[in-house]
Amino acid sequence: MSQACAIVGIGQTKHKKRRDDVSLPGLVREAAQRALDDAELTWTDIDAVVLGKAPDPFEGVMMPELSMADALGAAGKPILRVHTAGSVGGSTAIVASNLVRTGQHRRVLTVAYEKQAEGNAQWGLAGGKSGGMGAGGIFAPWMRSFIARTGSPAHIGPMVAVKDRRNAVKNPYAHLQMPDLTIEEVMESPMLWDPIHWHESCPSSDGACAMVMTTEDLASASPRPPAWVLSTAMRSELGMFPGRDPVRPQAGVECAQAVFEAAGITDPLEQIDVSEIYVPFSWYEPMWLEGHDLVGHGEAWKLIESGDTDIGGRFPVNPSGGVLSSNPIGASGMLRFAEAALQVRGMAGEHQVDGATVAYGQAYGGAAQYFAMWVVGSTLDAVAAKG
Amino acid sequence: MADIPITTHVIEFPYTRTLGPVIGPFLTGLRDGQILGIRSVDGRVLVPPTEWDPETGMPLDPAGLVPVGPGGVVETWAWVTRPTAKHPLAHPFAFALVRLDGADTALMHAVDAGSIESMATGMRVTAKFRDERHGHITDVVFVPEERA
Repeated sequence: MSQACAIVGIGQTKHKKRRDDVSLPGLVREAAQRALDDAELTWTDIDAVVLGKAPDPFEGVMMPELSMADALGAAGKPILRVHTAGSVGGSTAIVASNLVRTGQHRRVLTVAYEKQAEGNAQWGLAGGKSGGMGAGGIFAPWMRSFIARTGSPAHIGPMVAVKDRRNAVKNPYAHLQMPDLTIEEVMESPMLWDPIHWHESCPSSDGACAMVMTTEDLASASPRPPAWVLSTAMRSELGMFPGRDPVRPQAGVECAQAVFEAAGITDPLEQIDVSEIYVPFSWYEPMWLEGHDLVGHGEAWKLIESGDTDIGGRFPVNPSGGVLSSNPIGASGMLRFAEAALQVRGMAGEHQVDGATVAYGQAYGGAAQYFAMWVVGSTLDAVAAKG
Repeated sequence: MADIPITTHVIEFPYTRTLGPVIGPFLTGLRDGQILGIRSVDGRVLVPPTEWDPETGMPLDPAGLVPVGPGGVVETWAWVTRPTAKHPLAHPFAFALVRLDGADTALMHAVDAGSIESMATGMRVTAKFRDERHGHITDVVFVPEERA
């Protein structure tokens, strides 16, 4: 990994319940075109395409990397498919960045998407049979265990839900727009899987995300400020094995250690200005704050309760509104990575965290068993510049 | 003991598709008894039509959709001796690449030729539309022109 990699173009679609105005390739194309426009590049400038999405049965379009080659302008170029369940958007971005960092390609387009309205993700997760537990059903007992271990008060999950939905109002691409949601309304909404209320669960979205990555010399000619990839890490583990701690998966602990160490981060809470973390159900915000050692055991709920994870707080989490506000599954991880990059480029619009120079993007998938993370900076020495 | 009523349920989950501005009109055309191609960036007529140019990746203008056929030439073919339930015809037929009149690329489809002896590369075929059409690729089958 000798070369620097810059993110010079970022695009995403408006995330919606149903995008019936575009075909599946048309949806992906929309995000990709916006990323190219941001970079002021054309399709012919791209050397390779890296595509990621959640399992194919979600839409029933098998091996879309083949059928979408024309939509992605990939004729005569390498096209790669990445597949790591819900974390795939993050893993895909990392694979794309590695193609630049290793000197394989000079300009790489990476895309991730889901068109949930064309299929049924829960049905797909259950292997095409009815009666699957669903993601919430798998995660709920782990959340209850987390609450019991840490003594987190019951209103912390609802607080996260309200924060993310209010943040989403500042993001024109976010699916759910709920400016007036209150903690009481969250707690009074139907209980889906105890402790997850209806309003503590992500929506089902159609949407896509794309990024253009390039080398240091080409980035200098880019029209807008780039974001620099300071470090990346991926880890995985079995979804089930004797002795596994699914509340604090070891793969997540080690992935975070690796990504922070590689970026030179010794005190994440102080050195990271903004984080975009995969939180499809509210309680995953405190669970990952502790599960990635951003704060100590039993400390996450206090950070949240004090408002420190709000925009303007000490450690803002998901200023974009996060997965709780938009969940085009395959794209959700890449959206975390892209939103982190937008922050250090100073291009996050109304949900910009003032002066952000170091940002953390995280995605997880499967039975909380796949992790993908990156740290991005406004400059290559953004962490060191913090002193 | 009273008879226990038994009911049979078939549980299925239908996928849906949004076809977009090119494949949508192509399938609507089939329902209306017409095959459409689209003009590519370099001026060729592609059948079936694509939303993006296969060479350059540029979007193709739906205004460039043009009727092709119904006649065409078999470029190559393979005989299906024992069709399965999923094949378009219940009796032996050929899968063929058919380059329709006015098109520059070939469409893969079924040719209902009766027997393998009736098939030949370079033979003329023509589209025969089913009476009841649904906007599916199976709304049409090809037959040798002299039998049309």
